[in-house]
Amino acid sequence: MTVQRIKTKVLTGLGLALVLIGLWQTGSGAWIYIKAQLAQVLLQRAWAGTLAGQQDVKPWPWADTWPIARLVVPSLGIDQIVLEGAYGRTLAFGPGHAESTGPLEGSYTIILTGHRDTHFRFLEKLQAGETILIQARTGVWHRFAVRDRQIVDSRTAIISTQEDKRHLILVTCYPFHPIVPGGPLRYTVFAEIVERMAED
Amino acid sequence: MLYAHARSSIVRLCLCVLLTVFLLLIHPSAMLRAQPVESLSTGVIPTMGINDVTEGTLLFKTNQLGRYTPAPILKTDVQIAVTGIIARATVRQEFTNPSEKKGDWLEGLYVFPLPETAAVDHLRMHVGDRIIEGHIKERAEAKKVYEKAKQEGKRTSLVEQERPNIFTTSVANIGPGERIIVEIEYQETIRYDQGKFQHRFPMVVGQRYIPGTPVIVEEHDPKGSGTMLDTDRVPDASRITPPVQKPGQWPINPVSLSLSLTPGFPVAKVESVFHPIIVIPDPDGGYQISLKKDAVPADRDFQLTWSPAASKEPTATVFTEQRNGETFAVLMLVPPTQQNDAAPRMPRDLTFVIDTSGSMAGPSIEQAKASLAAALTRLTTQDRFNVIQFNNTVRSLFSSPQPVTTAAMRKGIRYVEGLTADGGTDMLPALRQALKSSQDITRLQQIILITDGQVGNEDELFELLHHRLGARRVFTIGIGSTPNSHLMRKTAEFGRGTFTYVGNVSEVKETLDALFKKLEHPVLSDIQLDRAGWTALEHYPSRIADLYEGEPIVLAAKATSIPEQALLQGHMGAQPWSLPVSMKHTTTRDGLSVYWARQKISALMDEIFTGTDEETVRKGVLDVALAHHLVSKYTSLIAVDVTPARPTGKLETDQTQGTRSAEAQDSTAMAELPKTGTNGAIQLLFGLLLLATAAILWRVRRVTE
Repeated sequence: MTVQRIKTKVLTGLGLALVLIGLWQTGSGAWIYIKAQLAQVLLQRAWAGTLAGQQDVKPWPWADTWPIARLVVPSLGIDQIVLEGAYGRTLAFGPGHAESTGPLEGSYTIILTGHRDTHFRFLEKLQAGETILIQARTGVWHRFAVRDRQIVDSRTAIISTQEDKRHLILVTCYPFHPIVPGGPLRYTVFAEIVERMAED
Repeated sequence: MLYAHARSSIVRLCLCVLLTVFLLLIHPSAMLRAQPVESLSTGVIPTMGINDVTEGTLLFKTNQLGRYTPAPILKTDVQIAVTGIIARATVRQEFTNPSEKKGDWLEGLYVFPLPETAAVDHLRMHVGDRIIEGHIKERAEAKKVYEKAKQEGKRTSLVEQERPNIFTTSVANIGPGERIIVEIEYQETIRYDQGKFQHRFPMVVGQRYIPGTPVIVEEHDPKGSGTMLDTDRVPDASRITPPVQKPGQWPINPVSLSLSLTPGFPVAKVESVFHPIIVIPDPDGGYQISLKKDAVPADRDFQLTWSPAASKEPTATVFTEQRNGETFAVLMLVPPTQQNDAAPRMPRDLTFVIDTSGSMAGPSIEQAKASLAAALTRLTTQDRFNVIQFNNTVRSLFSSPQPVTTAAMRKGIRYVEGLTADGGTDMLPALRQALKSSQDITRLQQIILITDGQVGNEDELFELLHHRLGARRVFTIGIGSTPNSHLMRKTAEFGRGTFTYVGNVSEVKETLDALFKKLEHPVLSDIQLDRAGWTALEHYPSRIADLYEGEPIVLAAKATSIPEQALLQGHMGAQPWSLPVSMKHTTTRDGLSVYWARQKISALMDEIFTGTDEETVRKGVLDVALAHHLVSKYTSLIAVDVTPARPTGKLETDQTQGTRSAEAQDSTAMAELPKTGTNGAIQLLFGLLLLATAAILWRVRRVTE
């Protein structure tokens, strides 16, 4: 009876520990996806404020980034808010604009990066010729058409951003579906500017 | 029973998940702590703005717009071998990527000054134990090779000729903590002036004034990485303004220098103007020269002078080189060191054009004023004179040259004394005004330009001179520690005059007295090389300038066969003059073909200002540059390593930050972008696995009860 009781106690303890760790892991795993979705809702609100003329609207009070563009892919029903800075901490909430590639309002080629399993999962489905729309903070829409898709090795690849035409380059991890993150390959989508449209 | 258990487990699990999510949601910092590994680590190296960049150094671009980090330049070693009038130098530069952070692969840009007549023909890179040789390629092709190698993660180095006296080296893919040594070899012509041969190694680049208003073309990035924006009149300004070193500012760029001198004639004395040197004579008449201090900061030009023994007649020296069945000859006509003062003087019109821009402020303007006052006192009553000053505007003493009278002279001296330096430099209108004076073949019409030459619109100046010079002669005087010697030399060349460099305040009076004296008497005029005995002779300059006291004439010739004796002809005053030069027992030297090729390229380039279309010029220059392994406007020197420089098999997740500015960048390394996969899936899977195990345990426990 005593042995039985001890056994039960150990099992209960072990079970509880497993439940707690399991919950923690499931929670934080799920949280990544929930956060990605939830942040976009808050970001859409901040974007509205940005378009209304406010400067660097923070989507939530403790945010250290702000929306700088709206990314729309009509064929895939994608509507995302792009954040300034392509760092791990911003990518959790939305696609990030690599600051080193120059301001979005200019004529520079720009690079956006996003997580392959949240915001930029759609890159997998993006076909050549499809339209990508980018709305800058000024409200002006830029229409890009997908020209090329490439899988590159991030350790050696250099993206040339000095072209005659303005390009939009979307970058995410590759392959899209492995369970374990990390790995040197990147999936890149090259889109070329088609036209600059007036505010809608 | 079992089913009920399982159901209650699932219900509990779901409740717990929801609770956890809720807890995380109301706890804001959890959001930021979610992925601490990926967050940005900011560097500790202070950055500098493009306007703070004042030293000729290797710059690394940072992620902040317009901010750069200077790379520590470990040192620069210079070795120079002088044979006759040709100097061959090997410059070895050593620099490092100071970052210890893994994945900090950087692209550097180094701007370095070279002597104005320098022609870079060889490049070597030392990376570890390997040595990579450079090749001359057409510029666009070299750029392509460079970009391709960079994309493949290989070390490359590209030396480009921005202006004849400024070279830039791009060095891509410098690994963290890595040391790269770039070694270039160049050849230049030794200056001979005032009875002295003079070799100058520029160790500091002056800041140039770029006329016009800055042009910011919205569609383009600035083309270069210089410190100034392109302007409407100097479209490549952003490429030609290098960072300049501030005196005493750290880090310095220590330079060690040694020189081996074989002049080819007996030398009176060897002197270094700014640096203490050690001179060791060789038994064969040469000298070994080194700096007394092992390494000196790059803040003053190294200047070495040596002078030949005295003579009363013009003398000629010739060197030859055989190369691919052709003979290259360099003929040097040296004026007598002692001038015959009894020769009658021709009346002269002297126009002094003086630079009063801000860059002349301080000792430079004082030197210029002293030299002007000295020049005025040498005028005689048969002469006429005028003084024109320019900064951003042009003002002149008289509207045209006036006869020398007591009143005019008093006015002139008062005008010179009142000169102050302020504002920008715009030489063109001043020169235009000077060239307006009426032409008169009975008078020597001399325009004397005194400036520090920090001006960029060279093409316009040369074009003006080509069209408006007439019988006039333009003489340039470079003042200060870093005049733009290329501009000054070319201006004098187009103006059929001479260029004089004054680097030291104590030299002004001596140098200019000699210059003004020589301007009173040309030694020889209408000089020509007799073509008899030469086959397929091609010489540069094709139109030989007048010979003045203190200034030799150097002629580079190429021929398939040469005579035993070359004949130089001309006029000494009104008398015909000729001088035979023996070609039989000449000393054979290396580098003469390179010298000739350089002269030919220079002559071809000048044709652009005289109306030849650029494509023709480009083809001509390409032929010569490729055959003689020379860097030119259309050719680049490029070296590409064959071994990939980047490590394989490791992911560089710690580099989450771009290392380039948008302003001058042309590419972004992928490794600079963050990793874009999350732990979401694996965490979910792991968590569910644990929960499932817990559920099994729960059942096991119930069963054991």
